[in-house]
Amino acid sequence: MSSHLPSVTITGIGSVSPHGPLAGLIPPSPLEPAVISTWATAGPRRAFLVPPFRPADVVPGVKTRRLDRLSVWALVASSLAIKDAGIDLTQVDRSRVAVVFATAFGCVELTEAFYLSAAANGWNGTDPITFPETLASAPASHVAMFHGLRGPNITVSNKHFSGESALIQAASLLRHGQADLAIVLAGDALARTLYSWYEEADLLSPACYTSDSAPEADGFIPSEGVAALVMESSASGAAHSEARPGTRSYARMISGHWASGGQPAEMIGRMLSGSVPSLIICSGNGAPCATSPTASLAREMVGDGAVVLRQQSFAQGLPGTGALFHLILGLNSKSGSSCINGRVLLLGTARDHGFAAMLFEL
Amino acid sequence: MTDPHKTIVVTGVGVVSPYGIGLDCLQTGMLSGKSCLEPVKDDVYPGFEGTIAQVRDLPPLAEYSSPRYSRTDQLAGIAAQDAMASSGCDRSALVDAGIVMASTLGGLTEIDTGIAKDPGAWYRRPGGLLRAASYPFAHVADAMGEHFGIRGPRCAISVACASGAMAVALAANTLLDGAAPLVLAGGCDPLCPFTLSGFNSLQALDPNPCSPFDQNRKGLNLGEGSAVLILETLAGATARNANILAVLRGWAMTNDAFHPTAPQKEGSGLADCIRLAMEMAGVSGDDVGYVNAHGTGTPLNDSAEAQAYEAAFRGRKLPIPVSSTKSYFGHCLGAAGALEAAITIMAIRCGALIPTLRLTNPIETPGVDWLRGEVKRQPLPLAMSASSGFGGSNTVLIFESGRS
Repeated sequence: MSSHLPSVTITGIGSVSPHGPLAGLIPPSPLEPAVISTWATAGPRRAFLVPPFRPADVVPGVKTRRLDRLSVWALVASSLAIKDAGIDLTQVDRSRVAVVFATAFGCVELTEAFYLSAAANGWNGTDPITFPETLASAPASHVAMFHGLRGPNITVSNKHFSGESALIQAASLLRHGQADLAIVLAGDALARTLYSWYEEADLLSPACYTSDSAPEADGFIPSEGVAALVMESSASGAAHSEARPGTRSYARMISGHWASGGQPAEMIGRMLSGSVPSLIICSGNGAPCATSPTASLAREMVGDGAVVLRQQSFAQGLPGTGALFHLILGLNSKSGSSCINGRVLLLGTARDHGFAAMLFEL
Repeated sequence: MTDPHKTIVVTGVGVVSPYGIGLDCLQTGMLSGKSCLEPVKDDVYPGFEGTIAQVRDLPPLAEYSSPRYSRTDQLAGIAAQDAMASSGCDRSALVDAGIVMASTLGGLTEIDTGIAKDPGAWYRRPGGLLRAASYPFAHVADAMGEHFGIRGPRCAISVACASGAMAVALAANTLLDGAAPLVLAGGCDPLCPFTLSGFNSLQALDPNPCSPFDQNRKGLNLGEGSAVLILETLAGATARNANILAVLRGWAMTNDAFHPTAPQKEGSGLADCIRLAMEMAGVSGDDVGYVNAHGTGTPLNDSAEAQAYEAAFRGRKLPIPVSSTKSYFGHCLGAAGALEAAITIMAIRCGALIPTLRLTNPIETPGVDWLRGEVKRQPLPLAMSASSGFGGSNTVLIFESGRS
């Protein structure tokens, strides 16, 4: 079954990514994986890493001491998205603003730290300040606290489609009048335990070991960061827009469909109802680009009738939570700008684990 | 006129609690006033002394025997199986169903401190990689979907102690969106050193059985369990001649936006949530016959919560009957909201106002009738379950008898 969502508009974008903290679209500049230096590795290991920055330099007044980096990035990315949308939160009924956050692994750095404190001091000697910050929902809670957002506050995860799930849950809240505006976030932070798992499971691209290998080689390059979108229902968006001259609409979300099985081409075909999108943005969610089934499914569905944008470098390294980054990068791609006013499909598939498809209008 | 496509009903309830498996087992235990809270017998971790409520003798699910399935996955799987049995729903009816499952722990139960010291070595231990694969909280929903062949939209949520209730609310939204014909929704969390240590470090635990809403309350006890509700639209349930256990009349979610662990002192976030849920249900405070409270037994939570009821039910003709069933088997974290939704439905179905155990000297709140002593038997057409959690999350669910 398809979710025929009401028209929901993306009016603001913010991110903290290997490109650093940014408001608005991410420039399509090439990015090289960086050598990991935060923890000891057996020889050089590379990943797409968020460069260090002082959060208070980007968001004046933000206090991030003792927070997981994931919480810090959620705070910064949400602030940048709100700024990009031109929203003055003092003029908004903040009890009507939702936060929907997607993560695959949660606050894994402080979870590691909590385990380390237990290893060092015993379970009776763990740190009370760290414990609540290990919760996967901590980043969304900090976003609510910092901005005073008292609407629904939800943290979701879905193995391959966490970002897509956040978009759909947010659209659902807006549709049912449970919020007027939603801050949608998705992302993860790399930590030693996570990278080691990828390595031991033999999932890494050769490019993680040497700069001589192409990023598209088999395997993937882990990444980190948080993307944030401001989503508004059409009615409230229009009302807010009147008070916000120059408000832009990056895209309008028209419908969405997700399932953990079944025949994706058939189901997505029904959702599209005969209309062919001009651009399909593939959101492969961790599968190696070379072997991802998403691009071939896209081609199978539209033939040569649309531009198919394959998975994007660092966004590909966020298993499950890369969808928002894929969308942001796709909207800024040369292909994206050439089909402005067209329809765009954000498509994610995972072998034997279903698919998620979301239709947007530029 | 009620729109059967917009009316959400509960057609199955599955429970794993310290009383055992099934709602009947829970009902028998609670109505007899039996508490499952007991001093730690097993070696939870060296040096831990306190009171907990454990699920004992969990039957093995053959499909969950691999190291890639955590105890959390097993609790959820057994509750889902029980929900399906209670609904009379065979697996073929579930192929396109959705899943919204909550957990705060995921597979942390399968991980020990060695992983942080040397992750590579830990993963190279037998089953290490598989055990770690159960860590993401999304795994609970995936395991359930794979086990039961459910292929509809799937989502896991984690919003601290409001998780289980919020899963039910989001499942209802999913049904209204038309994204699935029915949805399995609930929460699960087991006991493990990580959470016991965490709450112990926060000095939030009562070493003895807890006393929610008592003026001398000292903190909470942790428990474990899982509950899964099968939700569908009235139209869908009627079409397949399902037994309707309850109607989910209203739901709401809010956030305090106040503090990482403490509730807003006057309980304003929860009070707003209650008002929103009643507005959605189209009912007044006088229509609500009972509130199954969050009632953890911590000084801050219970004080804020009492003020929330006072504010949200102001103007009610009689004090609102409220109890905390965490006094029976502790706080089951991500499972709590779903278990308490199941208890609320049970209370409606058997017409029983369930008292808080060990409540001798209640918080002074004129607008609240703190239930204590014996179970009160009376018709209960409409009742509410309220949940809150770290980070300020609140969720309120309003259930009505399915017989009406």
